[in-house]
Amino acid sequence: MNKFNLMLSAAACLTNAQAAGIKIVTTTTDLADITRAVAGDLAEVSSITTGREDPHTLTAKPGFIVRARDADVWIRIGMELEIGWEPVILRDARNTRIHVGMPRHIDASDHVIRLEVPTQRVTRDQGDVHPEGNPHYWLDPLNGRLVAATLSERLSALYPEHKAKFEENLHRFERDLDTRMFGTALVDSLGGENLWKSASEKRLEALLSEKGAVDKAGGWYGTMRPHQGKTIVTYHRSWVYLTERFGLRGDLQLEPKPGIPPSAKHLAALVSEAEARKVRVILQEPFYTLKAAEFVASRTGAKVVAVPTMTGGSPEAASYLEMLDNVIRKVGAAL
Amino acid sequence: MAGAALSFAATGVLAQTGDARYQKLEDEVKALRQQVTTLQEQHTREMAELKDMLKKQVTVAAASPQPPGTPGATVAPPSLYDSLKQSAAVLVPQAQGVKGADLDLSVVLDLNFYHTDAKDGIGNLRNRISGFESQGEPGGPENGFNLREVEIGLSAEVDPYFRAWATVAVDEESAGFEEAVLQTTSLPYGLTLSGGKIKSGIGRLNRQHAHAWDFFDAPLVYNAMFGEEGLSDKGLQLTWLAPTPFYLLFGTELFNGGNEQSFNVSDAEAMPQHDAPRLYTAFVKAGPDLGPNHALQFGLSALSGRQQRWSEDDAAGADGDSRIFGTDFVYKYDAKRAHGQGDWIVQGEYFYRDQDLDGVGGWAGAPWTARQDGYYVQSLYGLLPQWRTGLRWDQVGLINDLSTPVDGSVSYGDSYRLAAVLEWKLSEFSLLRAQAGRGWYATDDGREDALELALQWEVTFGKHGAHDF
Repeated sequence: MNKFNLMLSAAACLTNAQAAGIKIVTTTTDLADITRAVAGDLAEVSSITTGREDPHTLTAKPGFIVRARDADVWIRIGMELEIGWEPVILRDARNTRIHVGMPRHIDASDHVIRLEVPTQRVTRDQGDVHPEGNPHYWLDPLNGRLVAATLSERLSALYPEHKAKFEENLHRFERDLDTRMFGTALVDSLGGENLWKSASEKRLEALLSEKGAVDKAGGWYGTMRPHQGKTIVTYHRSWVYLTERFGLRGDLQLEPKPGIPPSAKHLAALVSEAEARKVRVILQEPFYTLKAAEFVASRTGAKVVAVPTMTGGSPEAASYLEMLDNVIRKVGAAL
Repeated sequence: MAGAALSFAATGVLAQTGDARYQKLEDEVKALRQQVTTLQEQHTREMAELKDMLKKQVTVAAASPQPPGTPGATVAPPSLYDSLKQSAAVLVPQAQGVKGADLDLSVVLDLNFYHTDAKDGIGNLRNRISGFESQGEPGGPENGFNLREVEIGLSAEVDPYFRAWATVAVDEESAGFEEAVLQTTSLPYGLTLSGGKIKSGIGRLNRQHAHAWDFFDAPLVYNAMFGEEGLSDKGLQLTWLAPTPFYLLFGTELFNGGNEQSFNVSDAEAMPQHDAPRLYTAFVKAGPDLGPNHALQFGLSALSGRQQRWSEDDAAGADGDSRIFGTDFVYKYDAKRAHGQGDWIVQGEYFYRDQDLDGVGGWAGAPWTARQDGYYVQSLYGLLPQWRTGLRWDQVGLINDLSTPVDGSVSYGDSYRLAAVLEWKLSEFSLLRAQAGRGWYATDDGREDALELALQWEVTFGKHGAHDF
């Protein structure tokens, strides 16, 4: 009997050890953080980028190839964000299980809400335009939620024995995200799913007034609610998902075209436009030079907010939700 | 008699088999009829059962319209994720590209203005470097405008087993393959086999196409030991990514051996013939993981092949072995700022060549040997977003000891060159580059020096593949 128990626990240890060994490599830190939230201690998750660099351009270093070689699952942002470096890593890693299109290659953009999907033919005259749409979708918290659900679904298909655990973790993550987005009072009275559904159909305000819950609006939504309709200037078109979600106008960029650094001529035109629209905030990632933003700020009186859009981009952005929290707190304070 | 008996027996067998086949067919038809009847019966029975079940279901549903535990809801609504998943799917555009084939096409165009004060052109001067003299066509740019070969790249995943790519270099007169490679994608144990005309994996710069170089031209040591195009040959390459915690790649190659500078075979009648493959290489590359801001890679290479020289004037030649040993390193610092600002690269390669040839024809009995080397070191720094500046120091012939039937044992001097570059990369697809350099060359006419200036305008269009490390 004792012997049998011993064997059983040894076997249990063994499966545990194996389970803890799901090696997941993600292209970005936000994906790594969401994956950790969903997979919990069942997986060892690491990210290729650190959150401090421009995710469009990266050198496919030998170390990345080794990590891709050992990966059980590979997760990318997709929509061509990583087109400059992912193909080389996947080719040289010689890990056929994670080739594009395989079950162990997960494209997190599969089920997100996309913006700026071109309806016309894309040429490079337009700059760095992605033919599948703007890939900076993780700045919309709803997309973060959808990514988590996608990961739970795909990981459950790969590891059905952990389905219950993934789903439990997913619900905890969703609850956390919903509370941060809408505040505890609103989530408790109307339910997170319900709120998001209304938000995705652009009738959240109607729902709140219908239910008499306008004064309960808290969280990020509560922070940004008074600023709806205001215009902000951003460096790259990497903030459109944020401005769209919170009802801001984000159509003015320091870049004349996506991926093309600011020019004097473009900035001069931008200054008059920004003045006309009473822009108070210029938003950019810390890895871009501040010169152009400071130039526009000095002529319009707007405030420059340099804040990371990726987990790990600064000490405050320790997790995906903390990163969003940091962005919204700083933008809200400056508006 | 025996023939008649045989034919009679044959007819008997035929008649027998005819009867048997008829009987067999009849049996089969019977069996089929039986099967159909059984199926029909089964179908009628099943339909009756199904009808019964449906009837029961309807009555149950009528009796209790709501399933227990979920008051107020008959059917659970789809979750937010599921409903959005449907609507998002509509938004995903169709894949673009060449219809019907996942074929990537890219074209590199390179126009440059070049000037040198070398009296017979830089290509001729390089061919006259003491100890590294070459009878090959003088390469390199001419004074004035040059349109470098148009590089047309085609690549595709062939099927689940192979990928292939071809780079066609087209100039005003002719076209040729720079590379045409077939490669496995799914060999086990970290192995990859490539075949075709391959840019050898030795060294660091050798594998890169001209458009991926950090400078306008290749270092002197590459020109001297492998020629204008580098070492590129027909054959096979096997590489193995070792299962180590850091990057460790081993490779070996088997080539026909037809490199003008180091692995040449003469077609002179007096020369002994050697069947291909005549060139073997081996290389290893190692890259320790130094964290997010740094990247380092070391390499070692060894090449061994057949080398022949032939002098038409002397009706004499030499035939023997040529061996090259090389080491290379590259360090990259990633400042984590946009458009390469603050990034830093240091890179260097060293090659040592050892040739042991025996005289043939007029030189019979006399040895022809050479021990030579060369290296370069270069560094580039991201001055501003999109702007890089760099320096390269080149040297060949630090060791330059030859022993030939004509000149006896001689130690020649070294040749060296310094180049500075300034590069403006407007986007991933275009760059402008200015390079200025001065070289001091040891030639049979004494030391010659030459200034070089190049202004380069290069664009890539089509699908631009991601760059290797």
